[in-house]
Amino acid sequence: MATISMKNVHKAFGDNQVLNGVTFHVNPGEIFGMLGPSGSGKTTIINILTRQLSADSGEASTAAESHEIGLMLEHDGLFNRLSCLDNLIVFETIYGIPRARTLEALEKVGLSDAHKTEVNKLSKGMRQRLVLARAVLHHPKVLFLDEPTSALDPLTARGIYQLIRQLRDDGSTIFLTTHNMEEATHLCDRVVMLHGGQIIEEGAPQDICNKYDAHKTLPDLESVFVQLTGGGLE
Amino acid sequence: MRNFKAIFRKQLLDSLKNMEIMLNFALYPFMGFLMSTFASPNFDGVPEEIQQMLAAGMPNMMMMMATMFAGMGLIPVVASIISEDIEKKSLRFLTMAGVKPMSYLLGVGAVSFFLAIFTTFAFGFIGDFGGTRELLVFVAAMLSGVIASIFLGATLGILSRSQQASTGLTMPAAVVLGFGPMLAQFNGTISRLMTPFYTQQLNAIADYFSGGPAAAPLWQSFAIIWANVIVLGIVFAVVYRKKGLAQRG
Ligand SMILES: Nc1ncnc2c1ncn2[C@@H]1O[C@H](COP(=O)(O)OP(=O)(O)OP(=O)(O)O)[C@@H](O)[C@H]1O
Ligand SMILES: [Mg+2]
Repeated sequence: MATISMKNVHKAFGDNQVLNGVTFHVNPGEIFGMLGPSGSGKTTIINILTRQLSADSGEASTAAESHEIGLMLEHDGLFNRLSCLDNLIVFETIYGIPRARTLEALEKVGLSDAHKTEVNKLSKGMRQRLVLARAVLHHPKVLFLDEPTSALDPLTARGIYQLIRQLRDDGSTIFLTTHNMEEATHLCDRVVMLHGGQIIEEGAPQDICNKYDAHKTLPDLESVFVQLTGGGLE
Repeated sequence: MRNFKAIFRKQLLDSLKNMEIMLNFALYPFMGFLMSTFASPNFDGVPEEIQQMLAAGMPNMMMMMATMFAGMGLIPVVASIISEDIEKKSLRFLTMAGVKPMSYLLGVGAVSFFLAIFTTFAFGFIGDFGGTRELLVFVAAMLSGVIASIFLGATLGILSRSQQASTGLTMPAAVVLGFGPMLAQFNGTISRLMTPFYTQQLNAIADYFSGGPAAAPLWQSFAIIWANVIVLGIVFAVVYRKKGLAQRG
């Protein structure tokens, strides 16, 4: 039984047919990557799966109540004038979880020392880590991460990869979008490629690279991607 | 209840750290304080006749400041809090976590009301409206007006996609409700036009404190203020049901 699935989903904004029969599924406990050029509809898919947007036709389901979902979206939604800890306390109170778990989440993303810092004063990477702490605070069954490492330095990104893997090992299912093919290659158990409103390829990164014989010294998912999408801007 | 508590705490911390918002709560009583200081016989540097004039008009001026707070201060504050959370998508995370939009609005409204209580008592303390009875009348009228302003601010906040948009929406309301009563003092037509609005009635209550001939009996002013609260409450409920908050957040 898939944790997340879409069957023949269509979605248009006015004349702009963004999703044109999207079908895929995400297995329980895997790190799943949605790859696609800018404007291909990745965020739209997340919005549909988290029930913030409805599809025009087709079926979309996520096997989790909304309080069992963790989110990291394009907009971070942080309360800028509140400290890191106070931001998390808002959600700690809503979820009814003990303070110890909140402190643990801060610790995990390496923000313990900055817990009193106002969000306004955080660097971009620190903000992103705080958002991740908020997303995992309630040990969600399903985690949606929209470009979790965009604008992060490789080192911070690596720390976040580690955390994402740990969450998977603890039983969460993770859906993430990315432009970063290297990230997809190393982090994701399975990926799909979205182009022209449809899924044009799917599988384990390694398998896809083998299929297209796309190896340099490293498996090169990026070249498959460019080959399949034409590489231009949409 | 848990959700209300979470929002209340968030909003209280947030408002206390927001200079713009705190300025709105503090500015009007502070101006009242300055005026009453100038009018005080112990204050040198202001000619005595002017001091006497100021002192005689003090309840009216204090009421004018309080009216401006209700109209120009509070409405934009409430609208900007809500529209900021919509614009920054903070509200979306709250509703995804299971907070009902109504709990969110209640939390925001409660914090605004809570802070407005301090502003009201600051006026009461500085204003010297007379005896305990007068103070109670003032507080009752002000807090009723505060509720009306919170309803109106929340309605305009729901309708705004961004903080900037909320400024555009609240400005006309703030000018009419905040400045209208002042203009009404100089112009009979404006005064008649303003009669149905709660800020005009707040201002009219000043006559009761200054002992001047009242334009209307006290009960009538209260009736109009409460009619405003009810109408604005209904408008809020209708807009909330039609527009919702969750989808836009
Ligand atoms: N609310 C909306 N109203 C109108 N058009 C929209 C809306 N949301 C998205 N779109 C359009 O749908 C298309 C897909 O947008 P979406 O944000 O899903 O892309 P994306 O793959 O997430 O892109 P990026 O990688 O840049 O984040 C775009 O052309 C966008 O303009
Ligand atoms: Mg996107």
